[in-house]
Amino acid sequence: METAGGSKWSLIRPFLVILLIHSLAIYLFTRGFLLTRTELASFSHCSDLTHSPCSSISSSHRRSNFTPPPDESPDELHQDRRCWTKPAVDRLVIIVLDALRFDFVAPSTFFKDKKAWMDKLRVLQKLASAEGSSARIFKAIADPPTTSLQRLKGLTTGGLPTFIDVGNSFGAPAIVEDNLIHQLVRNGKRVLMMGDDTWLQLFPDHFNTSYPYPSFNVKDLDTVDNGVIEHLLPSLYKEDWDVLIAHFLGVDHAGHIFGVDSAQMIQKLEQYNSILEEVVDVLKSESGAGGHHENTFLIVMGDHGQTTNGDHGGGTAEEVETSLFAMSLQSPPASVSSVLDSSFCYPDLDGRKLCVGIFEQLDFAVTISALLGIPFPFGSIGRVDPEIYALSAHTWEGRGTGTNDCQPSSDLAAWKQNYANALCINSWQVRRYIDLYSATSVIGLPIEDLNHVSELYSQAQTNWSDTVSSSYLPMGTPDRIQDSEESPFQQQIDAYSDFLESVAKLARSAWTEFDGPLMGVGLSCMLVSLAIHLLAIRRLNILCKPYQNALSILGNYFSLVSPLLLVAIRAASFLSNSYILAEGSVANFLLATAGIIRLQRSISEWKLPTNELFFLLLSTIIRFGIEIGMSKESSASTFLFTFSKNIFGINEGDPLLTVLTDIFPIILLFVLAIMFYKFISGICCWPHFRYILYFGTVCSYLLIALHWASESNLMPISLFVQYTGRNFAPRVVYAIGFGLLVLSVLSRFLDSSRVTPTARMTVLSLALVSSWSPTILILLGRQGPFAVLIFISGAWFIVKSWREGSIESTRRDLGASVIDPIPVIQWSFLAVCLFFYTGHWCTFDGLRYGAAFVGFDHFNIIRQGLLLAIDTFGVSHILPILSIPFIITLQLQNSKENSAEGNTFLYLTQVFLIYGLITATTTTLTIICVTIQRRHLMVWGLFAPKYVFDAIGLLVTDALIFMASLYYY
Amino acid sequence: MGYGEITASKALALHFLCGVGLAAGYGIARLGCDLSLVADPARTLRLLLVVEGPVIIGIYGWVRRDREHCSMRFFSVFTGGDSIRRLLRGDCSDFPLILIPLVQCISSGLLSSGALLNAFGAIVLGAPVGLKYWLSTIYWSSLMSLFTFVPAVCVFGTSRTDWQRILAYSKPKEGVDCLISLPAQGAVIGAWLGAWPMPLDWERPWQEWPICVTYGAIAGYSVGMFASAVFVHVLGRKVHVKDD
Repeated sequence: METAGGSKWSLIRPFLVILLIHSLAIYLFTRGFLLTRTELASFSHCSDLTHSPCSSISSSHRRSNFTPPPDESPDELHQDRRCWTKPAVDRLVIIVLDALRFDFVAPSTFFKDKKAWMDKLRVLQKLASAEGSSARIFKAIADPPTTSLQRLKGLTTGGLPTFIDVGNSFGAPAIVEDNLIHQLVRNGKRVLMMGDDTWLQLFPDHFNTSYPYPSFNVKDLDTVDNGVIEHLLPSLYKEDWDVLIAHFLGVDHAGHIFGVDSAQMIQKLEQYNSILEEVVDVLKSESGAGGHHENTFLIVMGDHGQTTNGDHGGGTAEEVETSLFAMSLQSPPASVSSVLDSSFCYPDLDGRKLCVGIFEQLDFAVTISALLGIPFPFGSIGRVDPEIYALSAHTWEGRGTGTNDCQPSSDLAAWKQNYANALCINSWQVRRYIDLYSATSVIGLPIEDLNHVSELYSQAQTNWSDTVSSSYLPMGTPDRIQDSEESPFQQQIDAYSDFLESVAKLARSAWTEFDGPLMGVGLSCMLVSLAIHLLAIRRLNILCKPYQNALSILGNYFSLVSPLLLVAIRAASFLSNSYILAEGSVANFLLATAGIIRLQRSISEWKLPTNELFFLLLSTIIRFGIEIGMSKESSASTFLFTFSKNIFGINEGDPLLTVLTDIFPIILLFVLAIMFYKFISGICCWPHFRYILYFGTVCSYLLIALHWASESNLMPISLFVQYTGRNFAPRVVYAIGFGLLVLSVLSRFLDSSRVTPTARMTVLSLALVSSWSPTILILLGRQGPFAVLIFISGAWFIVKSWREGSIESTRRDLGASVIDPIPVIQWSFLAVCLFFYTGHWCTFDGLRYGAAFVGFDHFNIIRQGLLLAIDTFGVSHILPILSIPFIITLQLQNSKENSAEGNTFLYLTQVFLIYGLITATTTTLTIICVTIQRRHLMVWGLFAPKYVFDAIGLLVTDALIFMASLYYY
Repeated sequence: MGYGEITASKALALHFLCGVGLAAGYGIARLGCDLSLVADPARTLRLLLVVEGPVIIGIYGWVRRDREHCSMRFFSVFTGGDSIRRLLRGDCSDFPLILIPLVQCISSGLLSSGALLNAFGAIVLGAPVGLKYWLSTIYWSSLMSLFTFVPAVCVFGTSRTDWQRILAYSKPKEGVDCLISLPAQGAVIGAWLGAWPMPLDWERPWQEWPICVTYGAIAGYSVGMFASAVFVHVLGRKVHVKDD
């Protein structure tokens, strides 16, 4: 400020330049790396089939063969103009249970250990194991990313949704590709939807009737489910729909909040069991001839699995393995058992043999389309699943020669013929898509793989003509069909399956097309920005020089190398997925290492290393916090609670402990308030502003305490107080925070008092921190005060040990020690550690969605998104960066040299630059690692989310630093 | 020859003995007791400790004998007798008698204070705590203390200047400094590096605490010993050149 105007801008300019370059680099790299699959705008039509090689056969038989089913649902007029495959099912009930693990459905005898949550959906097991039943349980394999939105998109389009959509999870965009729901509507099927409102976002105007319920309030286990239950059973008696979709969310939410092994989860599963029982009863009672559900197909499925912590999104077995239960109300002939795979059978709880099939979710769209007789979605690359297809009785009806008395004698032969025909259409459709895709998309698929696939297809197709000629040419003699071995059709089925499997494999391995050049340009931009960073630091060194007594800018060799090494090691650790998983521990390991280096330095100067030892103690606490934070339930409670639980074996129900966990955060809050008072009363200037600050902060703290008190059930509180505490108090806290922020910005521009830059900076930074901290505290929940306390004391010890070091060291001047990067690195590592300490981690389910609903019950994309962002970056980015000036001011307070005062801004700039450089270095290495690992198995589960978090974190850091520099200078 | 000087051959012999001690400990564990670090880290570490401890204390005590003008107060406080001093000076006339206080006092006093430091460092850095691990943590940190703390105490006693010099590791000017600080630093850095494979998902048994950290420490210690022998050799030559 006191330096010339030009100089002030010359200090701020680097931050702006760096911010812009980083934005550009990340924009370019993201465009290259997180590409969506090219979505083709083509749609399948009924009439397309005439172009297919399968049509000539089927069309010649179609008219003559078709015998309408006896019961005419009002929609039959569409069905007699038969499309693609012969409709095998009239009505379809799809019940989606979100995050349904495989072991929720399969009997516990399938697993090594019986867990509490197993065998709760007994109705499905009983149906599947019943003698001669038409029901079957499948292990359904989902493709990552296993988030609900991606899965719904994948299930309905039959494609592989790519990663970029994950970012849109908060506001799902409508699906523009061809999909199952679109085909249903186009072909006159009436779709009834109830439950998760994500469906409505994906398909805004496809449903005849819909009963959507908000899905984003994860704390709410029942609203969606109760809404679905309310509408589901009555709808089953109605005739005004052909396809019913009911999406339950309770299990997903119970997993997110309580984990799989919890009473709430078991309660939810038991509730589902009774609902499913009722549903099956209704369907069965109406399944007689002429009933509503004579030819209805029931599917109960999960969209993805979940880990025992309730997380999903990645590609681990627990997350991708979900289950699917399929049941046809009309039993297929007994020979169905020869189609069904019996390689995975165990006795169920009653000792009856129960077999489980394997099902790829990729096949869902096309299988359902084939059953309903509608065109397959254009972009589907799945295959009609033989087992589900076989469960429907109508797929066993032979085509014969047009008269029912002349059916092929073997059911199986007829089915194989039907199925081969379906696969023929299926293969032709996939082939058509692949051809169009490689023709229109810029990069397309690898050419040799394409050649291999088309070879397989033409092979299968010539085979098909042979099969058809052998079985169809003697049209008048149906005996040929009867006599003919099953093998030609079986061979045909195998050939098509081969083709479809290799297409799916090709698509899975090579789908995500990275734009190499764009990624390269983005990466080079990052590297250029690093060079600019270093240049800016160097320029400041030169600027600082006139004020410096010593020229030893970089100190001794070790003090320069060791911090650089620490940052480099942390950055390089992102190369391995294990280290990304254990990032919190790695950061803490390095934080402690930095602390030990300082301890060693302090001891070698023969001082009592109190601050350093306290710092190490603190990092031990953080370390335990991070370890505990990995497990779900504890992230909400305080460290002390879990610590005492783990170490002293006090169980959760202990009343003393519950009191303690409720009271302890509030006590800490008052400690914070007292610390704040102590600090603020030490400030020399601006008395009025000081009092406003203090008053605002104390008010917010009281409101936070009220909020927590109203959430706990410790003491009986009247309903009014409870409501105020729950919803009103947080909003007032946000308002006070915002008011203080505005006030401090205004006072910074309006004030004209002449105080030293150091004092001024202290007040300003204190104002910023005090305006942000209550919001961050209330969003973090009860762990908040302890986390903030850890940050404050950690920061204090860092600065303190540094200050002492610089005073006693031979290099007395501040200039040299400002450049000492170890404290800045410690500061940055502390921030990273706190990110993990507060229960965050770098995946999308690591976001603490609950925080978005502190003070609000309803979902609003901007409001809740903002709160979630503040919660995620609050204690790890906002607070540390805004309080960076304390590094300088606390240091300068003790210095008597006046020359240093004028240099305040130079020092501050330098610290900001070093801090930014540390973040930029780690992000650059993340980008490099992501580039290297882009074909890694875990790229979507682990590396890509890590990249997104780091990229956003870097931009937040840059923007905050830029804003802070505008504010302080 | 200056104060605290040591010849290269002597340094080499000294390190060789330490190495032999370690190898012997491991050999006994492997062949004699059928123990391995992976199978039973705690008991193997204990055995290593029992074998290596007397070797290191004895050897560095022998180094100390060459340094005439250092106070023995520290030892006297710990052991409360002349016997140790006599033993350390090589006077073995009443060896069997003093063996008991030696083992008791030195291992309980010296070892445990060094072990405490090492254990604290390990826990700060993320070593697991819990009933399953505490025994191996104790033995591991005692072994680390043998590598780092014990030799320094044996040689320097309570001499402040020596300690300060060693801790600041400004350029080693003396052979003895190298002799002590390089293997110790090697052990610490090796242990630090040895912790890195622990989070990897290879699911090997040796990734458990403290197995790979012990391997790292021993490897680092060996490298340090080798380096210090080389340094002593180089320093010795320099001195000779100066003398000429």
